[in-house]
Amino acid sequence: MTEPLQLAGRPRRLLAWIIDAALVPALTVFLVMVTGVVEDAEDYADSWWMLWVLLLAIGSYLLLNGYRLWRYGQTLGKWCVGIAIVDAKPDAELDANLNAGVTSEYKVTAWWRLICLRAWFFPFSFAILIWPLLLLPLLDHLLIFGRKRRCLHDLVAGTQVVMRR
Amino acid sequence: MLRFFLVGVCLQASLCVAECVNVTKTAQFGADYSDGWGVDLRNTRYQARSELTAESAPRLQLKWVYALSNDTPRSYPYVTEDTIFIGDAGRGVVALERETGCERWVFAHDGYIASAILHARAGQRELLIFNDRITGVYAIDAVTGEFVWHARLEEQPLAWFSGTPLIHGDRVYVPVASQEVGLALNPFYGCCTTSGGMVAFDLHTGKRLWYQPTIATPAEQTGSHWFFVQKYGPSGAPVWGAPSFDVQRDILYFGTGQNYSHPTTGTSNALFAMDAENGEILWQQQFTANDAYTAACNLMALNHPNCPKPTGPDVDFGAPTVLTRTPAGDALLLGGQKSGEVHAVDPLTGARVWTQRVGRGGIIGGIHWGLAVNEQAGLVFAPISDKAILDFPAPGKATPGLYALDITTGVQRWHYARPSRCADTACEYGLSAAPLATNDVVITGSMDGFVEVYRADTGERLWVYDAWQEFPAVNGATAHGGAFDAHGPMVADDLLMITAGYSYVGAQRGGNAFLVFEVGGAHD
Repeated sequence: MTEPLQLAGRPRRLLAWIIDAALVPALTVFLVMVTGVVEDAEDYADSWWMLWVLLLAIGSYLLLNGYRLWRYGQTLGKWCVGIAIVDAKPDAELDANLNAGVTSEYKVTAWWRLICLRAWFFPFSFAILIWPLLLLPLLDHLLIFGRKRRCLHDLVAGTQVVMRR
Repeated sequence: MLRFFLVGVCLQASLCVAECVNVTKTAQFGADYSDGWGVDLRNTRYQARSELTAESAPRLQLKWVYALSNDTPRSYPYVTEDTIFIGDAGRGVVALERETGCERWVFAHDGYIASAILHARAGQRELLIFNDRITGVYAIDAVTGEFVWHARLEEQPLAWFSGTPLIHGDRVYVPVASQEVGLALNPFYGCCTTSGGMVAFDLHTGKRLWYQPTIATPAEQTGSHWFFVQKYGPSGAPVWGAPSFDVQRDILYFGTGQNYSHPTTGTSNALFAMDAENGEILWQQQFTANDAYTAACNLMALNHPNCPKPTGPDVDFGAPTVLTRTPAGDALLLGGQKSGEVHAVDPLTGARVWTQRVGRGGIIGGIHWGLAVNEQAGLVFAPISDKAILDFPAPGKATPGLYALDITTGVQRWHYARPSRCADTACEYGLSAAPLATNDVVITGSMDGFVEVYRADTGERLWVYDAWQEFPAVNGATAHGGAFDAHGPMVADDLLMITAGYSYVGAQRGGNAFLVFEVGGAHD
């Protein structure tokens, strides 16, 4: 897929995150209720229920976002606000493009990188409420104020987020 | 100058460490100061082997302080002639040299030790028995600190071992509550299916001998919420406190808490008599019917689906029962209830003899952790918390303090209304911890951090110590004082021991100071 590159605005990215942060836990809660993995006394006799909840959370993420990430590099939230995840351009090329105000073309990031590298930062976003775990999400998200608007998860996965036309 | 200073600090530090270098590992077991949580098997919490009296109380001095590992310690010490054993949640059982507080050994255990430390002889072996609140009952070698056995209750997936066991003969009797009372906070949890109970284990092996739940009928589905989450009942009637024991008749006595869900049962908020041989229930007497409550009800404003409706009033028998006798020699079983009432019943039949209300009650008491009696004086001492938790329920005026009642009639003899220092800070000033009686005095620890000694016959406050401070501890750390709660004080010979700090409930101040006082100085 090729389209002109224009970095996604920070408000859009925040809005996309809020949508994802609402939908994924909501579906997880629904699945937890339907499957009843934390409903019975026996479930708490050991710690397996935590694994089930984790698996349901991963399942929820994949159910909501898996297909669109594969085809378009978008979570549901990003689809709603019209942005997408793409392979990062080399610094020099991106700098040149940004300086010249010209557009470029992008390639949707490989699905395995989106899931295996980038998506793991999503649950840590919620840890921003828990000291001292908040340091990781704080660092992750504060990097968006850099010129290239690449968060830590973008740097790890080699991605950047652009407007999708 | 700096060099001299550093040398001085190092020298001082080395001296401090050196004080605990030559501590022998082996404890002696020639003197026995308690049979368990209640000092004796009847739970009178009257200590005969103490030098603490109305005359000597003003001479109490802090002897040493040991810093525990967490800010809500909940263990009660076992004392011998040269050693104090105490549970240190997150670290294990610690054997401390009685004279200095230096460690003899540590039995490493990372769980939450929630009970008194008990001592028993199994053949030639000296054992210590204690509860981990979640994982069950443990026996360790009292001489070496080595693990001997561990027992849990397979029938109950969410057993909560909150009450101290009782040992008699070759058996360990363990009260069983349920974690469901707190698990109900999870709105996706199908509340509730478990029952409280009593279980007996073999002292030598930890093998389970019998188990008797307090609710005989299995829970069934009673409805659902949010379409998918099923509700169950009956449930609850946990046993929170150590049982008391009639040695002549081989009978266990204990009280129960409220139900966790509807329908309620006749076994909640009740006193029980149980055959210690086989767990057969001999009688039960309920004092507050139709009481269903879980921790979810503390969030009343959220209309939590796991808060049973109708709700409360959550007035357990959290305090262990006391098997006592009147000055005329009549046997009585006493039960202190969170409603603020003390009940006396005939231990053979369960028939009520008298009831006296001394507090307004509430979900943390009323009477929370225990009573004490002085049989010679014919008095029962009831500490009143009257603490309000959030908006539930506690109507009426709080009257926290210590009350002395006539054992025979229940008539109030005296009352000490505790002054509050909580006007400018978030704290409570009532008495939640169990008191202890000895000679002609009663000892309490208050939720606002005071250890107090009262004259037993008049209620005059003889001595008070403010534990809201920091202490240099013998184990090198700094200990912090806090609220007194849970098991309360212990005395042995010239020593008074008590743990300061308890942040488990509400705005209470945590702390980790195990304080040991000594009756010192010369007689006037």
